[in-house]
Amino acid sequence: MDNLPAYYLYPANLFVSPEKYLINTLLGSCVAICLFDPISKIGGMNHYMLPLWNGEGLASPKYGNIAIEKLLESMLKHGARKHNIIAKIFGGGEVIETHHHYFNIGKRNIDLAHSFLSELKIPIKAESTGGKLGRKIQFHTETGSVKMKYINRQIIED
Amino acid sequence: MEKKITDEELLRELSIRFEQNKTALEELRHKSEQLKKVNEKLKESESLKSHFLSNVTNEIVNPFASILGLSQNIMSLRVDNYEKIKPLAQLIHSEAFNLDFQLKNIFAAAKIEAGLAQPELSAVNISSLIESVIESYRYKARQKELKIKFHYQSNTQNGTITGFPTDSEKVKLIISNLLNNSIKYSNAAEKIDVSSFIDDKGALSIVVKDYGKGISSDDKEKLFDRFEKGVESIHSLNEGYGLGLSVTKAYVELLEGEVNVKSEPGKGAEFAIVLPRPDETNFLEGFSDDGNQIFFDDSDEEF
Repeated sequence: MDNLPAYYLYPANLFVSPEKYLINTLLGSCVAICLFDPISKIGGMNHYMLPLWNGEGLASPKYGNIAIEKLLESMLKHGARKHNIIAKIFGGGEVIETHHHYFNIGKRNIDLAHSFLSELKIPIKAESTGGKLGRKIQFHTETGSVKMKYINRQIIED
Repeated sequence: MEKKITDEELLRELSIRFEQNKTALEELRHKSEQLKKVNEKLKESESLKSHFLSNVTNEIVNPFASILGLSQNIMSLRVDNYEKIKPLAQLIHSEAFNLDFQLKNIFAAAKIEAGLAQPELSAVNISSLIESVIESYRYKARQKELKIKFHYQSNTQNGTITGFPTDSEKVKLIISNLLNNSIKYSNAAEKIDVSSFIDDKGALSIVVKDYGKGISSDDKEKLFDRFEKGVESIHSLNEGYGLGLSVTKAYVELLEGEVNVKSEPGKGAEFAIVLPRPDETNFLEGFSDDGNQIFFDDSDEEF
């Protein structure tokens, strides 16, 4: 077992570190994007719940468009170089009927990751998205590797 | 090559297509509705931007000016006039208190927008937390002759009176915002009811109810948006940035809870917050300060 400091990432938050960290998170219909610069060994992760901010509430990384922008911004601030950065994306499972009216929320979250990352010309090196199960992931910020485990229960809500 | 299909297959295919069409239409309708809303928001945000600078003047420069002036007054008091210190100090305190509260909301909003608002859970004595917030608003309430009543329903069955696992700083700001709003929108000499209880599922409820101006249904929609303030007509008297409820909502969501609002114009407003009790594994695994250890073994997929 690696003896690295662990960081549990909550939904609507993001975390970037040039230090070695294991970033953990739990995903249902949410999507987490792991960005990694293999040269400077800087890694970061976001965890967004909805695709686009529509002016409601605060402009927080709860929304994909903001989460991706802020994560990249923070990576660059920590010294990562944009042309080195690669992405790995996870989550976006199908949510069983909930009280809110969003439909296909998982799929929309995944679509947004694809379109934004391709617009930013950040290559997606690995991906495990969709399906009906939740996921636990652990991102190693020094090696850029991500371990993933399916959670054997249906997603109620993120 | 032409492939023949039976009537049954044709019907099935048709019904699938119709279904797809229906979904696509539904989605389109939904999208254009959203687009319309976003458009309106964009217009609003333009005007908010221009308000912001004048807001900063009102909200920061003015209180500082009065704090400086009032303390100057105290300093120049003569020894035989010392009984005047207390009212002056009270005024300074209330200006500083407001300023501190507004700044807390700004910092909180900035952290939330930066994605750095991680909750830090510990066992919190909810009733004394609420009491301390109410206590800090006593002076402000007294100025409007408002009575704040606090009712805490302890439920020994769940044994969670002293130790509800949550983020005390965040809950404190949530309650401060609700209470601050209640005071702001109450008419003089009314009362405010604050109550709190743990329900049978172990979730924490906090309800703040006032009997003041209430909220129109138009305002209700924008209630939790940033920089929105109620009742434009009393704009000049309406202090604050309009960040409080957007911060409140984001914090409640972070703690996986809900905010519900009941209000009618002229009939006061009731804000109810429900925070589920983080389950034991979450508390141990997911919510501990030093992060969640998720155990993996070699059989797990690696990317």
